[in-house]
Amino acid sequence: MAYTLQFGQVTPYLWYMAGGAWIALQLAGIAFLFGWAIGLVFAAVSEYGRGPLRWAVRGYVIFILNTPLLVQIFFIYFALPDVGILLGSYEAVAIGMALNASAYLTEIQRAGFRSLRRQELDAAETIGFSRVQTIRYVVLPHIVKVLFPPLSNQYIILTMTTSIAAIFGVEELTGRAYNINAETFRSLEIFSIAALYYVVLTFVASTVLYWIGHYFFRVQGKVF
Amino acid sequence: MTQLVIDRLSAAYGATPVLQDVDLTVERGEIVSVIGPSGSGKSTLLRVLVGLLLPVAGTVTVAGHKVDYRSRRDLRAVRDRIAIVFQQYNLFQNMTALRNVTIAPTVVKRRAPAEVTAEAETLLAKVGLADKTKSYPDQLSGGQQQRVAIARALALKPEVLLLDEVTSALDPELVGEVLDTIRLLAREGMTMLIVSHEMGFVREVADRVLFMADGRVVEVGRPKQIFDEPQAARTRDFVSRILRH
Repeated sequence: MAYTLQFGQVTPYLWYMAGGAWIALQLAGIAFLFGWAIGLVFAAVSEYGRGPLRWAVRGYVIFILNTPLLVQIFFIYFALPDVGILLGSYEAVAIGMALNASAYLTEIQRAGFRSLRRQELDAAETIGFSRVQTIRYVVLPHIVKVLFPPLSNQYIILTMTTSIAAIFGVEELTGRAYNINAETFRSLEIFSIAALYYVVLTFVASTVLYWIGHYFFRVQGKVF
Repeated sequence: MTQLVIDRLSAAYGATPVLQDVDLTVERGEIVSVIGPSGSGKSTLLRVLVGLLLPVAGTVTVAGHKVDYRSRRDLRAVRDRIAIVFQQYNLFQNMTALRNVTIAPTVVKRRAPAEVTAEAETLLAKVGLADKTKSYPDQLSGGQQQRVAIARALALKPEVLLLDEVTSALDPELVGEVLDTIRLLAREGMTMLIVSHEMGFVREVADRVLFMADGRVVEVGRPKQIFDEPQAARTRDFVSRILRH
């Protein structure tokens, strides 16, 4: 091992990389929010819907779950322009990740609906709750509590998946690390730092999510 | 004064009849115990009374008012007068014991929170849980949870309390504390319909016992009559099997 670590050559780029981390955070946030919202609706349709609507949703979910994310984004970025839909690389990645996440989040949230306990619903009904009151006071708090840990995990996974954007030339964290590497060839230093940035992103997110879950939803468990 | 009249009440799960032509009149302050083998329709009877299952025939008259279970207004009125406690406690897991008791009066009846909270604390003290108001259901034993469930039912100031095998899910050593709570209510003159497998307890608190089998009422009478001189063969058979151990 005759390699000498030289972080000095890389330090000028630390802010540049931090900017990349910010873009990664945005992508993960967008993919999660849209994926979660679509997933919530699709989970409700999967559990309570019937007929063609339900089959369409199930078909979509199964198709997305069984194809690679990279292929999905390639399709959006390279194939859609053939039918006149032209998207920038950032948009293509954001949409691809959101659609991909929506399928996973559908299945996760379905489990939430399934875990609703018939007994609590009976109790809600017999003490005179209206449908809206039952959803507000019984169903939602239960679902949020049950789903908080898996949803948190999914968000962390999405944070790391954003690195796929580098392939499409989006200058997020991995993309920027790749650029600096091409200029300085300090691969060991650069990719170590990039990895560290990801660790910071996910560590901060895990910790924040843990405290939110712990204090607001009485989720029991440990961060690490 | 007559509190509850059940007349030729029938119910079904799909095509399977589970209650057939059940008749029962309950006077105010009376305690009627419903016994019978599993699947005899005891719990179903209670579920129909609180509107969790629509009857297919027959009528229920509560405090002189004939109930239309398809009408929202009637359902609300019935649930104002009749409260139920379930075998599995059915507490809201995301709420403290106190919140479980206060939620219906505040949210459904829109009463002042301060007043409701004071009442709820009194009720929880009455069932022996003054020090558990801030505990969540998963921090309580089965017996404690069931007592919270009883307090929750009482918070609505019901005229009739339905108890659906409230000790069946409990460890044996926890049964006593729940039965004591029910004895207390009995002494206060609460009208109750008690589905139970605790035959000793039934004999002790019930004014009358209703024996059911296959969704029908087989025999009604004083506890002494049902347990010691049952008339119907099915009752004799059931009682002899129960009392043997």
